[in-house]
Amino acid sequence: MGRKAKKNDSLPGSLDMLILRTLSLRDVHGYGIVQFIQQSSDNELFVEEGSLYPALQRLELNGWIDGVWGVTPNNRRARIYKITAAGRKRLAVETRKYAKLTLAIARVMGAE
Amino acid sequence: MDSARRSEALREEMELHLAEKAEELEADGLTAERARAEARRRFGNVGLKHEQSREIWMTRFFSELGQDIRYGCRTMAANKAFSALAVLSLALGIGANTAIFSLMESILLRSLPVADPESLVVLNWHSRPPKDGDKESVHVVHGLQGIFWPGANGALVSGIFPYRAFETLREENPVFSTLFGYFNGHDRTLTVRWQAMSASTEYVTGEYFRGLAVSPAAGRLIDSEDDRLGAAPVAVISFATSQNRLGGPSNAIGQSILVDNVPFTVIGVAPPEFFGVDPAAAPEVYLPLHTNVLVDGARAARIYGDENFYWIEMMGRLRPGVSMAQAQAVLAPRFHQWVATTAKTDGERVKLPALILNPGAEGLGSLRRQYSKPLYVLLTMVGLILALECANIANLLLARAAARRREMAVRLSLGAGRPRVVRQLLTESVMLASLGGALGVVFAIWGMRTLTVLLSSGPRNLTLHAELNWSVLGVTAALSVVCGLLFGLAPAIQSTRPDVMPALKNGRGGGPRRRAQHVLVVAQIAVSFLILVAAGLFVRTLNKLHSVQLGYSRENILLFTVNARQAGHRDPEIVTFYADLRKRLESIPGVSSATLSHSSLISAGLAGSAIRGEMKIGAVTIDDAGVLAAGPRFLTTMQIPILAGREIDERDQRGSTPVAVISEELARTYFGNENPVGRRITLVDEKRDLEIVGVSANLRYGGLKDEEESSMTMFVAASQISPGRMTYALHTAGDPLRYVKSVHEIVREADSRIPVTNVVTQAAEIDRTISREIMFAKLCTGFAVLALLMACVGLYGTMSYDLARQVGEIGIRMALGAQRGAMVWMVLRRVLILSAAGLAISVPAALISSQLVKSFLFETQPNDPGTLALAAVVLLSAAILAGYAPARRASRIDPLAALRHE
Repeated sequence: MGRKAKKNDSLPGSLDMLILRTLSLRDVHGYGIVQFIQQSSDNELFVEEGSLYPALQRLELNGWIDGVWGVTPNNRRARIYKITAAGRKRLAVETRKYAKLTLAIARVMGAE
Repeated sequence: MDSARRSEALREEMELHLAEKAEELEADGLTAERARAEARRRFGNVGLKHEQSREIWMTRFFSELGQDIRYGCRTMAANKAFSALAVLSLALGIGANTAIFSLMESILLRSLPVADPESLVVLNWHSRPPKDGDKESVHVVHGLQGIFWPGANGALVSGIFPYRAFETLREENPVFSTLFGYFNGHDRTLTVRWQAMSASTEYVTGEYFRGLAVSPAAGRLIDSEDDRLGAAPVAVISFATSQNRLGGPSNAIGQSILVDNVPFTVIGVAPPEFFGVDPAAAPEVYLPLHTNVLVDGARAARIYGDENFYWIEMMGRLRPGVSMAQAQAVLAPRFHQWVATTAKTDGERVKLPALILNPGAEGLGSLRRQYSKPLYVLLTMVGLILALECANIANLLLARAAARRREMAVRLSLGAGRPRVVRQLLTESVMLASLGGALGVVFAIWGMRTLTVLLSSGPRNLTLHAELNWSVLGVTAALSVVCGLLFGLAPAIQSTRPDVMPALKNGRGGGPRRRAQHVLVVAQIAVSFLILVAAGLFVRTLNKLHSVQLGYSRENILLFTVNARQAGHRDPEIVTFYADLRKRLESIPGVSSATLSHSSLISAGLAGSAIRGEMKIGAVTIDDAGVLAAGPRFLTTMQIPILAGREIDERDQRGSTPVAVISEELARTYFGNENPVGRRITLVDEKRDLEIVGVSANLRYGGLKDEEESSMTMFVAASQISPGRMTYALHTAGDPLRYVKSVHEIVREADSRIPVTNVVTQAAEIDRTISREIMFAKLCTGFAVLALLMACVGLYGTMSYDLARQVGEIGIRMALGAQRGAMVWMVLRRVLILSAAGLAISVPAALISSQLVKSFLFETQPNDPGTLALAAVVLLSAAILAGYAPARRASRIDPLAALRHE
């Protein structure tokens, strides 16, 4: 099945990694993830909000995160996502890959 | 979580997201409206994102399905014998079910192939029977041409009406957009370009085709202008007839054809799928109602005005928005008012027919009335057989599940979800079942052909339209999937039981699985006993029917029918024609004698008596004697002994003394010990006397199943009545069918306009009257063999498996000195216990359910002890046979080897 290439996605798969990272710090609902990524990147990263949900579904189906019905800080019913053990492993893998990639890019950019 | 719930949850999440975003933007100072719009803009296309998420689950579902199917293929390939056996037996079961269902669909469920069949209604009436209590028949129906059938509470139901009733109901009808009539014209001689053949005809009123909303394949259809006295005689022919006889639909238009020697012009061809209003019939020629005056002569003209003669059938098309109940409420009083004026006496007035409307979507109910019960019985049996097969495969899978317990335990302990593993196992069983279903369609095609032949060898002119259409195939597919789930579920749940540890430890099956297997075997034995009993009862019925004393020869007789009157022969010449034809037939080498009669003996009851009205000997009325109009040498040809006097011969001519030959029983009843030869019988209506010239031995007049068994038969000379259709009988040396060609040649030489119809041996003609019993006996015997085989396989499998589990135990016992015989007995005792449990359930069930088929039995009680005992003996022998192989194996176990294995 051909999913359309995401716009402005310089790092493929980075959204998954960002979500896993967010959830490794705290359990939050969908909108909370968007806010967290925005705030912690000093408004540099804007998640394409709509794309968040297909990504959450994918992560859940892979067993990396788990969504359960709960209550938001504003007392609204929402699905609160938690990272699973498999998700933490996955995050570690992604983080290593990301570190290698950024290092490689930095080397290229820094080369004379 | 299922797809709908997941989808709903996702929608809710997205809504919440948008709401929170909008609130945030509002807090930043946007108006509520702007904030909502901005939130939406930033989010992107909500619908599209939702779709993408769904797509993710579907992809996962299909990729897992792909995995499962690949895995299933590997498992099936690894167990080729098992897979082949399972697929084959399922194919048999599903095929049988499909074949029977396709017949049911064509007979009981399918609608007429016309536009909007739901708005068609059939008009019927019901009344108290003409005879009740008193023997006199009193009813407004003085004469009729058509049939009655029994309704609820002994009422009489019929669909035929006087023509005046049709006219009355047709006038200003507020509930029907059209009301149309028709009646069966039966077989006529259709001559096209000097080629005569028999064709079935239907007389239809001018509104018939308009009412059914049928459009022609070529030309135009009969309309109101054609259905008047004096209109040019026109005909519409069926699509098949146009192709077979007239060189295609477009060529047929304008051609001249002869129906019983009366010229008609073909004006149109009916569409290929159209078969009239009766699914049992398929008229080849449709004629305007009033043309029956041309074909049938003056007698037909009289029936139009006779308010007490019932003959025309009716259907109406409801106006839009009118329900059948509303139509009934309007028409029933109107019919009552009319029919009350036709009653002549008080006796007739109390039994007036009352109009009832029935749904017409499925056409006339003749086939349904005849076949619905037999078909339900057959469907129940094939359903049971399929259940047996499912049980068998479940059993085999249970055994295999035990073998796969380790594999499953490993998977489960590696973290596979239990539902996921169950799903994979179910995919495997549904795959098996689907393969079985696909192969079953092949069996079904073959089975449908066989069934159609078996069924249509019965009543003449029965046309079956059974075919594999989408609804039949849909049922087959559904059946396959249900079977797969049915036999796959228990083993799948069993083998994925969460107590992983014991399985990992020793790999041997536990108790519950064995219990499940035993329950299945007991159920199989119970079901196969039921089917055995049914087969026994039907075979016994057939034997009883075959042993009915006929009193005449069954073998070496060829029968065929000709109708010279339809070809234009008239009195008195027709008598000479028939006599000459008989002489010519008798001269065929190998034919020892030839004769003719107005009907074959076996169907004489249906053809009706050759003489109407009361018969008297002196002042005594003869009751219940069958009268057959016969030609010379009838008794000789049929090998009926002549006890006194002579048989009818060539001396009995039109002008000579009218004669009769009576059977021994008739002679004894009315003449006691006196010699009846020379005495006279008075025909009251015809005002003439017959002289008795001979006495024949007793014989069976009419069908084998006729309740009122009476051997009182009277033969009159065919030459001395006004003959119409005649059935010739030839006594032949060797196979009667060898003479068919000569018969055709001789009839063609005599008059090429006369078609030879219904050529059949006497034996086949007799079997035709009991075709249903023959079909039941044959099919059920087949079913019983299949069921027995299934039960034996199940039993054998279970016993073998039990044995494999007990090898160690048996080894110990034998080492301690147990005899081999004791080991055989140990296994056989278990077989007998299982069989006895099955029988204990099944015998009461058989006693109850056999009552349901009571009406199909002949001189056989539903609880016939002989049949029950025989079925039990057969079942037990088969069970012991199936158990003997494992038993023998048990006795051969080498204690040393067994213990070492342990």
